[in-house]
Amino acid sequence: MNEAKDNEQTKPPISYTFFSEESELKAIQQLIDGELSEPYSIYTYRYFVYNWPELCIFARDGERYVGVVVCKMETYGCVLQGYIAMLAVHASYRLQKIGTTLVERAIDAMIEHKADEIALETELTNKAALRLYESLGFIREKRLLRYYMNGVDALRLKLLLPWRHSSDQSTED
Amino acid sequence: MSEPKDFFAATAAAAAAAASSTSLRSSEQRDMDRESNSNEADDWSVSDYAGEGVQRSNSGAQDTLDITQYPKYGWVDVTSEFHEACQELLPGELAQDMLFGLFEAMSAIEIMDPKMDVGMGFDKTDLPPPSFEAAVAMGAIKLAGLEPAELIGVFDALFACLVSWLEGNSMDQVLFTCLYLHAPAQIQDKALRAFCTAVRNLIVVIKNIIILAAVNEEEDFQLYGNSALLAAEKAQPATIAPQLKEVEDELVRKCKQLNASEDQILMAVVHRLRFMRHLFQAIYQVELMSSAESAEEAVNEIYKNLNVAAELLPLIRRTIERGTQPVEGSEAPNPMGFSPRIHDRSQPPTFPRSIKIRERPASYQFLEEMVARFKYACKVIRYKDYYTALNFLIEYSRKSGHCILSRSVLQTLFSSSIRLAHGKQSMKQFLRYSVQCFNSPPVLNPKHPVNNDPKVQQHLETFFRYCISMNTFNQFIRLCGFNRARQRDKLAHLIENFDPLQVDAARLDSLMNQLANERAMEGNEVHATALKHSTHFSTWVLYNCFRAMYIYLMSGFELELYAVHEFLYIYWYPYEFLVGFIVSALTRTENILLAQEEYAEHQSRTQLNGSGGGSNNKNRKAAKPKKHKKQQRPYRQEIVYYHAVLSLCGGMYKAMGALTKDGRVRLPMSKFDNEEIRYIRRFAPFVPLTSPPPVSYAEFKNIRDHLMLSSVEDLYTYAAKHFDQARNVLESIQNPEQEILDLLQIARTNFVVMNVLARGHQKELKRQPEFDFSKHSYFPIIKLK
Repeated sequence: MNEAKDNEQTKPPISYTFFSEESELKAIQQLIDGELSEPYSIYTYRYFVYNWPELCIFARDGERYVGVVVCKMETYGCVLQGYIAMLAVHASYRLQKIGTTLVERAIDAMIEHKADEIALETELTNKAALRLYESLGFIREKRLLRYYMNGVDALRLKLLLPWRHSSDQSTED
Repeated sequence: MSEPKDFFAATAAAAAAAASSTSLRSSEQRDMDRESNSNEADDWSVSDYAGEGVQRSNSGAQDTLDITQYPKYGWVDVTSEFHEACQELLPGELAQDMLFGLFEAMSAIEIMDPKMDVGMGFDKTDLPPPSFEAAVAMGAIKLAGLEPAELIGVFDALFACLVSWLEGNSMDQVLFTCLYLHAPAQIQDKALRAFCTAVRNLIVVIKNIIILAAVNEEEDFQLYGNSALLAAEKAQPATIAPQLKEVEDELVRKCKQLNASEDQILMAVVHRLRFMRHLFQAIYQVELMSSAESAEEAVNEIYKNLNVAAELLPLIRRTIERGTQPVEGSEAPNPMGFSPRIHDRSQPPTFPRSIKIRERPASYQFLEEMVARFKYACKVIRYKDYYTALNFLIEYSRKSGHCILSRSVLQTLFSSSIRLAHGKQSMKQFLRYSVQCFNSPPVLNPKHPVNNDPKVQQHLETFFRYCISMNTFNQFIRLCGFNRARQRDKLAHLIENFDPLQVDAARLDSLMNQLANERAMEGNEVHATALKHSTHFSTWVLYNCFRAMYIYLMSGFELELYAVHEFLYIYWYPYEFLVGFIVSALTRTENILLAQEEYAEHQSRTQLNGSGGGSNNKNRKAAKPKKHKKQQRPYRQEIVYYHAVLSLCGGMYKAMGALTKDGRVRLPMSKFDNEEIRYIRRFAPFVPLTSPPPVSYAEFKNIRDHLMLSSVEDLYTYAAKHFDQARNVLESIQNPEQEILDLLQIARTNFVVMNVLARGHQKELKRQPEFDFSKHSYFPIIKLK
């Protein structure tokens, strides 16, 4: 569910804001749909942004929405797991660390809510996303065969947060 | 979300999705909303719920009723109420039921969206996809008098569909797009009818094998399809071969009356029927394995059929062109007999998966490889003990891990039920025999007098019963049947289960030693010697545990789970500990065997005409009826192999140290990163084990820090030395297999690369090298760009 392209360069004057109102849904859809082979129904978007608006963060260049990260957070067993569902940065704004910043902010927000770990899935072939998440300390936890409808394998990535690193307490999936 | 079984249900589901997709609130949704609200407010009462529940279940009942009686539905216009209700919501606000979660959200489709709505693929003017009856009525499919070319076309297309099904597609979207399969009994053409009946039965047999082997996962294979279609005509697998044979004979007789060119094309039909017959027989006999009187005979029979099938395939592949070919641009795999979209509407309402049926030559290639895999699987019958059988299964998984049917066939051939190995042998018997083969404990030798010691027997019985109830050894075998990604997850659990077994095995060994003392006190030297210094059982359990650990750790490379900056600690552990453990377990075993053999020789020399007591030698002969000299070092080859692996791990560990210190490895630089946590996670499955004891991060860090004190040049040189050592060991192996040759190439190349780097090549260019795992899934060739 993740797309990301990023690289080192100086940051432009980008501001970061939380999801606040319905009209912003269009911006999310435009940013995400442009990146994905499979479309999400409107329900999927609403499911995330209305349940966890504080975990939906935009990158904006003035009025323009140039990037977004969409997350959720739920308890599995005794583990509070943050989950990064979608990440996208507009093509003309890549290589400016906007993706990394968005994810960092999302992680910060989830840490604030006492998440034990943060998970996500990405395509095996999405080298840019893998590099981004690995530079943040995520590990590739699992290979998921034929996870996507186009038959491509996925990887489940996880960031384990320090206060809960005794392995046996973490979730399986 | 439930999966509608038929067209009407699917339509209704889509309609329901559409109704709510406007994200406005219907009265029913308002009810749901209210229900969940009241729930939140915690003033939820049974009577409230019952009231609404009745109302809702009414409407629910109506739904199901009305779906099947679509034309009689009493439509009520609720547009105005609907709009009125919507007034209460802000734009975008969604009335969400408690049970409406991510799965439902993602399964919902937006109708009229071409990417989501299957129906959008149809043109308005398109006719509905023809059913069997419709196609017959229209004259679109022939039921009699098919030309040989038409038969070949249908047969080849069906084989392609079969292959596509085995590759994980839904049988409805591949096999059952063939209308002939819907009602083979109505086909008049005998060859076509026999073939189609065979395909239907083959589907049932294959499904049974896969279900019973139970090594499938949702990503491997779709077991379920439109069962109504399959149920229409009862499967009678025992009648298939005779039916096919009869048609073949008839066609062969006909051939004799024809001229050469007509004869050829008819023979192409015969070859396909014959191939189907032998393939079917082989697979059907696999299913019957569990009731076979003799596993050997059954496997022989299977093997014979596979051989004939394999011989026919080249002939078939040469005549693919003789059949009718799919029309370019059409989705149908053959011009006649297929209705590609017939089941589109009965698919679950998730997004449409585009189905690509394999091309005919590629399908036959798949079948050729599959038949070869089955033949290879038959060899499992030769491996009578756990050690060799497990080796075989691991190897087979490496080579054939992608094909669900091949994996299932091997599992079935090996053990048709969870308590049995090789046909009728009980698992307990199999394990006893396996330990006897592995390191030959005198207590397991039926000819050794100590074997009759009732106390010994009691302890052995307890131990093996425990092994069976823990099921760990059996699980290891079964685990090899799963796909490679799932194997890793399952290995993690398996390793944990080895711990209680280790404890029990160690206890058994110490009980034997205690008994040795008792017998010695009694003056029974033969028994005392046989029982003394027993490490047989713990060594056996430990060895298997180490292997599971090694495979678990290294499978992470194969599955691409490790980032380059993690390679260092991953290779460090087998280098520093694990591979050494394996080598020492094997060496210890060989030493035990050697000592026993010497003792037995000594015994037989001293009591040349003795009563035959203590003849260990005989046992060894029974276990491994090979040349005497070889017997003494049965694990030599494996030990040499692991020596090479040890050097390769050492080389990789130090190479990673050197590259990291040299600034050529991208390291995570984030405040969120924590190497200790990553390390702990990677080795987590080993933590529950008492032996080997877990190695803490602090311990690792100490050792690494010490290594890193050396200069970059020295580090590269150390790594080069390890690779050179690996090369030496590998070159010493006679008649090397392909894997050894591949490892040799890796060792050689990396040796050169390390030397080049040690000399300061590309010193200014701090680029991360490429790690190319294409030669071996555990060890890369390090490439400088």
